Amino acid sequence: MEAVRRWWDRYAGQLLIALFALILAIAFRYSNGSLWLEIYQFLSRPWQSSHQQQLVVEEAKIRELRYRILELEMQNNQLRQMISLPSTLSTQSTWAQVIGRSADAWWQQVIISKGSRDGITAGAIATGAGGLVGRITDTSPHSSRVLLISDPSSSVGVVVSRSRALGILRGQSQGTGVLEFLDRDPDAKVGDSVATSAFSTLYPEGLPVGRIRSINLNHQPAPEAVVDFSAPIPALEFVKVYARP
Amino acid sequence: MPAPNSKPVKRLLNLIRPWRGLGMLVLALCVCMLLMPLRLPGLAIGDIAPNWLLIWLVSFSLNRPVLVAVIMGMAIGLVHDALTIPQELTGSVPSHVWGMMLISGLTALLQKQRYLREDFISVALIVFGMTVIAETAIAIQWSLLSFDANFARKYDLGQIWTQQQRIALVSALVSGLWAPALHFPLTRLRIPQLDNRP
Repeated sequence: MEAVRRWWDRYAGQLLIALFALILAIAFRYSNGSLWLEIYQFLSRPWQSSHQQQLVVEEAKIRELRYRILELEMQNNQLRQMISLPSTLSTQSTWAQVIGRSADAWWQQVIISKGSRDGITAGAIATGAGGLVGRITDTSPHSSRVLLISDPSSSVGVVVSRSRALGILRGQSQGTGVLEFLDRDPDAKVGDSVATSAFSTLYPEGLPVGRIRSINLNHQPAPEAVVDFSAPIPALEFVKVYARP
Repeated sequence: MPAPNSKPVKRLLNLIRPWRGLGMLVLALCVCMLLMPLRLPGLAIGDIAPNWLLIWLVSFSLNRPVLVAVIMGMAIGLVHDALTIPQELTGSVPSHVWGMMLISGLTALLQKQRYLREDFISVALIVFGMTVIAETAIAIQWSLLSFDANFARKYDLGQIWTQQQRIALVSALVSGLWAPALHFPLTRLRIPQLDNRP
């Protein structure tokens, strides 16, 4: 008995701690370690790349949209064939790298790495990731110059996708363009997407161009809207060139 | 392999010596033309790169007869037009020729009357001023176009002059800063020690 008491006097504290630990461990076991996960998550937050997950989700979304667009384009082409309208974009296309910008600040141009040897002619359409980029104006055997839609001298006949309000889009030398509506009272809202119209003589119909950033309905002589281009015009690296329609 | 002082090499050097200055000018011009569409980091500010052709032209026009400078200005203006103006718009958009002729003439006059000495700062300053003049000449031509009924809707006067401020200032700044980098090799190589040797 004396021996037990002596042991108790000596080790009670440690025993209690051990028991307490055991209880905690049991609780921990039953919670499947969720507290630890929480703490780990909290501590590792500075090193987490939060956009990684977002990217995966965004990619999936983009993939979904791409499939839907493909489906719609196919349908559209079939319907066009039924009523014997010509298809919009040429099927002949080639990717080209952007190897230079314009040689003068007054012009918005890029130089690309494919030319007439690759079947590119003046008037061919250049698109980038996001939509319309511009038009080929000059070609050499292995290179050509693209007049961007952000150049003030390039005007694109466009249509507001939602309401079919027509207008003419002119570049402003930077990442935006000005859409001048043909209608006095156009049905357009901030955020509406803008695409090339069927009345455009230089561009095929239905290419995405940008989104409306702001609208000034009181502008004279015609209402105006500022449009953000959907293609990253100032940071172009690659363009896809479609043969002249 | 013959030593550098051997006869055939000397003869060859003597043969190309009168043409060396010209060769350097042509080489520099080719390099300038190739540099125009580049936007290297540190070389361009806000997508505006130095106007290398203009720097070359100013460097050429210093200490030259006005007529020679003006003719060269015309040539460089045409070269610059060829690098930028789309084929289909030729004739209906501003040309670089007028501005280039003006600045080459002015540069030649400047040096003739000894308003400025030829040193590091003055070259940068001349290029700065000349760039402003050249870009203003372009802006004036755009403005004239905007008065034309055919283009009035296309080119807005207010927009042209806000652009002119941005382009002229930034372009003048980067061109001025990089001018000595082109001017000094050209002038040093034009009158090398070799020519003064007995």
